[in-house]
Amino acid sequence: MGYIRIERAVCKGCGRCIVACPKDLIEFSDELNERGYQVVTYKGSPEECGGCTLCAVACPDLGIETWNNRGKQTFETTTGLTEKMTHYCPGCTHGVVHRVVGEVLSELGLVGRTIGVAPVGCSVLAYEYFNFDMFEAAHGRAPAVATGAKRARPNTIVFTYQGDGDLASIGGNEILHAANRGEKITVIFINNAIYGMTGGQMAPTTMPGQKTSTSPFGRDTEDTGMPIKVCELLAALQTPAYIARGSAHDSKHTVRLKKMIKTAFQHQAEGRCFSFVEVLSTCPTNWGVSPNEASDWVADAMMDYFPLGIIKEPAKEPKPAGAKA
Amino acid sequence: MTKVLMKGNEALGEAAIRAGCVHFFGYPITPQTEVPEYLVKRLPEVGGVFVQAESEIASINMIYGAAGTGVKCLTSSSSPGISLMAEGLSYIAACELPCVLINIMRAGPGLGGILPAQSDYHQATRGHGHGDYQLIVLAPASVQEAVDLMMLAFDLSERYRNPVMVCADGMIGQMMEPVEFPTEGAGEPMAENEWALTGCEGRERRIVNSLYLSPEDLNEHNKKLKAKYDLIAEKETRHEVYGEHEGADILVVAFGTMARIVKSAIDDLQSEGVKVALFRPITLKPWPYKAGRATMDALAPDAPVLTVEMSMGQMIDDVRLCADGSRRHEFLGEAGGVVPSPEEVAAKIKSLL
Repeated sequence: MGYIRIERAVCKGCGRCIVACPKDLIEFSDELNERGYQVVTYKGSPEECGGCTLCAVACPDLGIETWNNRGKQTFETTTGLTEKMTHYCPGCTHGVVHRVVGEVLSELGLVGRTIGVAPVGCSVLAYEYFNFDMFEAAHGRAPAVATGAKRARPNTIVFTYQGDGDLASIGGNEILHAANRGEKITVIFINNAIYGMTGGQMAPTTMPGQKTSTSPFGRDTEDTGMPIKVCELLAALQTPAYIARGSAHDSKHTVRLKKMIKTAFQHQAEGRCFSFVEVLSTCPTNWGVSPNEASDWVADAMMDYFPLGIIKEPAKEPKPAGAKA
Repeated sequence: MTKVLMKGNEALGEAAIRAGCVHFFGYPITPQTEVPEYLVKRLPEVGGVFVQAESEIASINMIYGAAGTGVKCLTSSSSPGISLMAEGLSYIAACELPCVLINIMRAGPGLGGILPAQSDYHQATRGHGHGDYQLIVLAPASVQEAVDLMMLAFDLSERYRNPVMVCADGMIGQMMEPVEFPTEGAGEPMAENEWALTGCEGRERRIVNSLYLSPEDLNEHNKKLKAKYDLIAEKETRHEVYGEHEGADILVVAFGTMARIVKSAIDDLQSEGVKVALFRPITLKPWPYKAGRATMDALAPDAPVLTVEMSMGQMIDDVRLCADGSRRHEFLGEAGGVVPSPEEVAAKIKSLL
């Protein structure tokens, strides 16, 4: 029989795992943990869980590990992250994306060569969570910092981790030109349609009509323009690049997102091109909804406007003569 | 060593390579553009890196990134561009990263003009970004001294893990003079250290960061920086005294190109028997207060101190601090690219005697 282990101490009671479980085997317990969160608990009988990992994939807080029917561990905490608990709000998918980046770098054997660049915004403290060399950059400037680091140390793997205010607003010039120069860096772009850290102001990616503290009557596109589709903007550049948009709002999409992030780092590791992955992400606190309602909002309100998939890929290199088809 | 005839900006670029710097990030702006134009051709010959950034904001952040990985790196700009670098310099100084920047000052404020000026003195010496930080600021008065100070700049930046500005005016950048380089070929790269981000294989991970959420920690960090700036002030001031200052009837204080012009005026006046000397700070930050005060104390009683600048009067603040009420102050300055001539300086000196 498979089973899961829930780390009560780190659970923030967001309930994303409850929705993620295909067999409805997880529920809220009546108990609060030391930090006051209502923790989740396994409610099924032991033989019901197959160790499918979807609950663990949904968890933003490294709170669940899973084993399958043969007793083999199917989901374990990545060594790409430190053990420090994040400061993110319950249900915020920053934690999910951090974990996916950590997993990918660990699986590709790149952790010891990596230099990350944290932004200004909610993920300003990313250097506390990523378990490798890290910069903390000024607001919007991460792609320039990454350019300097990568040019100085071409054998390292350099990536930036930036939110929508940081990358698409104040850092618009830096990301545009890093992409256009074809810097061999990777950019992870978190699009949650709002400024999180400053308390929920309108971002360049805020949806039309979306209420924020600086668009209290809903974003008026007559006055503030339309949300910026950063992937499509960068894909219009003629310089070769890998540009993709995924989502971390549920486990299924997170599995696909991981493939995109892995491909992005592979392009860098092979010295091929600039790589960029946008992630549709949740901000339950500033959207004023529950974590699971936030996931639904990504699917219902964001995904049509910000279509998922690979937006641009570098041209396939011709196979050497005599290579098998 | 043979002497070569070089334009100031090109000599500055070559000096960086001789100092071991093979990483340049910059953006075109008059009157410093010959620095990148020289280096883009020269750096490939020594296996170096040249990036033309999209702005000075990006240049200084590329410097932040490169410096954080432990390589000697250089950017260069002129006044309006340096303004854009304020934010990045604050971060670099906060993270205690070594780097060198060149400011070939032009006339301001605003877009101003492209002719030489010294009106970025306050900006350079008062830490023009936010927070309690200081640059080391070196002010050459000739192309040869520009070369020598570039070598010193890389040395000081690495020793103190602090950004160093070589602050010259458009005259130094644009004029050609014979120069001698103290070393042959590209110099040594930065030594291995315990702070550079290079990938954590085989060691503990490292973080380059200026965020301190605890007020006590940030206070401590500021005190540590202040202790470093105090040490630099104690050990690294440099100056020149020109002419006989013992018993002189007037002391002129000037730096960079203006000091050179003052020297011509002093040469003329001395032949007429006027007892006048020049005090020239070479380090604008830290300012050589101790030497300046000793020079002033040796003047004739009641001798005034005349500060001459290519600005409306900025360094005079430091001259006043130096004198601490012990001397009468006079000022001569022009702006906008207008440079006081030796004759004008001489006339001003005579009018004060």
